[in-house]
Amino acid sequence: MQLLAPTGFLAQTGFPVPMHSATLAHYLLVATLLFVIGLIGFLTRRNLIIMFLCTELMFQAAGIAMVAFGRYHLDFTGQTFVIFVLTVAAAEAAMGLALVVLLFRRKESLDAEAWQDLRG
Amino acid sequence: MCSDGVVEGGEAGRGGRGVPRGTRLGVRGGAPGPGQWGRLNTSPATTILCPHFGPPPAAACRPARDCGLDQVINPFLAYGLCVLGGAGVCLALPRRSMTPQIVGALVAALAGGLALLVMGLRNAAHLPNIYFYVFSVIALGAALRVITHPRPVYSALYFILTVIASAGLFLILSAEFMAFALIIVYAGAILITYLFVIMLATQAPEEGETEVLAEYDVQAREPIAACVVGFLLLAALTTMLFRGVSELPQPPAAQPDALLADMPRKVERVLRTNGLLKDGDKLITGRSGDLTSVGSDAGVITVEDSQGVVRTIPRSEWPEDLRVKNIEALGFTLLRGHPGAIEIAGVILLMAMLGAVVLSRKQVQLDEEAKLAQARQLRLFRETAAEGVTGRSMT
Repeated sequence: MQLLAPTGFLAQTGFPVPMHSATLAHYLLVATLLFVIGLIGFLTRRNLIIMFLCTELMFQAAGIAMVAFGRYHLDFTGQTFVIFVLTVAAAEAAMGLALVVLLFRRKESLDAEAWQDLRG
Repeated sequence: MCSDGVVEGGEAGRGGRGVPRGTRLGVRGGAPGPGQWGRLNTSPATTILCPHFGPPPAAACRPARDCGLDQVINPFLAYGLCVLGGAGVCLALPRRSMTPQIVGALVAALAGGLALLVMGLRNAAHLPNIYFYVFSVIALGAALRVITHPRPVYSALYFILTVIASAGLFLILSAEFMAFALIIVYAGAILITYLFVIMLATQAPEEGETEVLAEYDVQAREPIAACVVGFLLLAALTTMLFRGVSELPQPPAAQPDALLADMPRKVERVLRTNGLLKDGDKLITGRSGDLTSVGSDAGVITVEDSQGVVRTIPRSEWPEDLRVKNIEALGFTLLRGHPGAIEIAGVILLMAMLGAVVLSRKQVQLDEEAKLAQARQLRLFRETAAEGVTGRSMT
């Protein structure tokens, strides 16, 4: 069965064979769905930490899309870029969570709407 | 700028109309002949699709039947599934009143599953691996749970599940290094930070309450508007992406051994351990230390033995270990192609560390009332802990 035929790491065939663009479309659909779920979460959740988690979801989606494109073009730049996305995500998590802890200490609440007076 | 865009031969575009689905631009199988690329790039009829420059691309918007999206999924079905998924996610979001969250999640899952199924049926010859379906269902389901679970700790744990499932997707895409880096960095480091902060920044339970669910976790903000916006974005993105995907240029032929010329030490070590290189033999290298004849073009390794006799090892005799691994190719791309970006990433990490230290050392000025309230809460917590009250949810 073609469905069960292993590719990539499971087959140990060495360098990957070219991928059809219809297969690429599947990966792009999953990445888009993940991105949209993250976006909806960012818009609807009111907990500051969950909002940060949703941005990480969107990072994940971008990473999947980039690796899939890199695999399609047999180019490693996509994977390289995901490394930098990881770096930025780590930096963002450190800074953002430090800010969230500060905000929580001030108002004893993680509600984003508790900080409505920050609106410029 | 422009020249990197999608190069579309007007000739090929017109010729593509009569060709059955999936075969336009010769996408199906095989390597492109070098002549094909040359013709596309130099033909006077070539139109470069570019939003700002050049003549308006006449072939850009052909009739809807031929407009790309149709090759991947039926457009009306796609938009219907977008609406269905939006309604499902909207139902699944947490609300104060009891909403049928499970029904919503099932509806959303049905929409996503139908979309994948329809895409698979339309291009049945190019289905992805079955593990793709397993991992993507896990990733999407866990992502849905991240945004619908009322308890932040569980959200973070479901996010770890999403990360692990997308690492599985990376494995299928033969990006092994990125898969493991993702698990180590994301699931192992970043998410642990999140968990710590969630536990630090949770309000202590009031007296007599068994579980603490903050009001802002239970009640979603503007779920309908957010779902409409999100799934409008999904419809637009899928339209653009799938249209672009069906017009992508054909991928280049794989050059599995092109990097071997840059790795003479690896070649020598592998050949020695496999007995193809005896004592006194040495690889013939070029002027700059490269192996002159290792590579995808030549496909042979030239060896000179101690007597000065030159022999070649053809590709059919190369051992299996000689193939370029993912991590080696990635290392070459990263360190040779983007050294400046690595420096910048290092500076970003340093700045983030300094910033986090400075921010968390900052003393928060509380007024007297808030201090009293905190002291009361702390005393209450200590008393209840000393009494050993059981049945209290620690989350």
